[in-house]
Amino acid sequence: MSELQELTAAVEKGNRKEAIRLTNLLIEAGMPPMDIVETGLVPAMSNVGEKFKNNEIFVPEMLIAARAMKEAMAIIQPLLTAAGIKPKYTAIIGTVQGDLHDIGKNLVAMMLKGANFNVIDIGTNVPPEKFVAAAKEHEAQLVGLSALLTTTMPAMKTTVEAFRTAGLNTVKIMIGGAPITQEFADEIGADGYSPDAASAVDLANKMVAA
Amino acid sequence: MTDLLVALNTRPLLCDGAMGTQLMDCGLGSGDCGMLWNTLHSNRVRGIHQFYAEAGCNLLTTNTFGGTSYALDRHGLADHVLKLNRAGAQVAREAIGKSGWVLGDVGPFGDFMEPLGQTSADELCAMFREQIAALAEGGVDAILIETMSDPAEMEVAIAASKQAASLPIIGTYAFQKSGETGFRTMMGAPVKEAIERAIAAGADIVGTNCGVELSFGDYLELARQIVSAAGKTPVILQPNAGSPQLVNGEIIYNATPEEMAALTADLLDAGVRIVGGCCGTNPGHLAAMSRRIG
Repeated sequence: MSELQELTAAVEKGNRKEAIRLTNLLIEAGMPPMDIVETGLVPAMSNVGEKFKNNEIFVPEMLIAARAMKEAMAIIQPLLTAAGIKPKYTAIIGTVQGDLHDIGKNLVAMMLKGANFNVIDIGTNVPPEKFVAAAKEHEAQLVGLSALLTTTMPAMKTTVEAFRTAGLNTVKIMIGGAPITQEFADEIGADGYSPDAASAVDLANKMVAA
Repeated sequence: MTDLLVALNTRPLLCDGAMGTQLMDCGLGSGDCGMLWNTLHSNRVRGIHQFYAEAGCNLLTTNTFGGTSYALDRHGLADHVLKLNRAGAQVAREAIGKSGWVLGDVGPFGDFMEPLGQTSADELCAMFREQIAALAEGGVDAILIETMSDPAEMEVAIAASKQAASLPIIGTYAFQKSGETGFRTMMGAPVKEAIERAIAAGADIVGTNCGVELSFGDYLELARQIVSAAGKTPVILQPNAGSPQLVNGEIIYNATPEEMAALTADLLDAGVRIVGGCCGTNPGHLAAMSRRIG
């Protein structure tokens, strides 16, 4: 197994120490940092997402893998920043107004980072205008709205409307959360819905490619 | 009042339905702390409890779901644990008096435990203990630890309850579908493991509430699996009223009271001893379910 493959395996298993060691090793060997991300880390998190969708692993294993990825990225990020290299796509993510829950939102943010999206997490209880302002400021291609409470689902509708009113029609909006369904996404005119964090990455990739 | 567990031996009981949506109907703003109403608008909270009591519910659940210091801190109310939990217990008691049982409601603290998160089992236990002691001081008859995903968190909450009060403990998880016929919690715990761990930790009654995208058929199958895993331990089931839909800008759950009543009958046949409602249920649903329980 090459060191790159070893890195992928280490991240997949959530072995932080190995992930750090191998990342440093690859950098020292002269591998371009973005190549490490795209051919070492992204495939690891993609495998994790795949296993998650197949019910082979669950949220704890996903969290542990993402943490290993984060450690590796902490080494790589300064190099990317210094070289002026940015991920291709930017996603704004937040929990809608009135809702203070963040577990689901954090999981999706984590998995999108794992797919090499530039993720701007704007927190919980986010008013529609703040989503719109953040999307403009960061020139985002994608916005993710999260809600856990039934009572805050209408805020997803007003947030989608705020994007349409602001004329940001090219920004794709995806929604998710325990009470959310595809039917609801259709009703409020969101571009997509995903039932879990791993599927959210598939959806995000599909939407930005469209 | 008879001991809850003794009463359950003789007849099935009806728990109540949703609180949050009812509070919003009474004017609670989106994002506001509903628990604050236990002191600020206790008459309105009492009113909701009374509707459920009049609908025939034997068990009222206190308005204290997010009542740990960790969860209350999101509203800047971390130092109100004692006051808001105690008041929550008292206002439910005022609504039902001695003609039913008051369950002190304890929800998940809202984050991951170590090693996945930053909170240790000891810290979490102290937080649950503080909340449950306040509920006990307010006079609850039992503790309802609900909507759990992590069996480890359930174990900590049950341990905290035993330390804080000597009251019956009900432990329920939220499940979602996993594969063709299986169910797991968000944290990946299958039914058998989750239920067995709650019982081993000392839960007197176990079951499920809420859930993600579960049909009535799913709830019935889940009930069978829980009853089987629970052995002699009584089972509680509190389903959502179907799935939420947007109608004229408002979120409506699509199950009718009659459908909830029919499900109730099926759940009792499957061996469930306490039925209640979770998201989207209202006193109308519970009244229909009460007629079915008899």
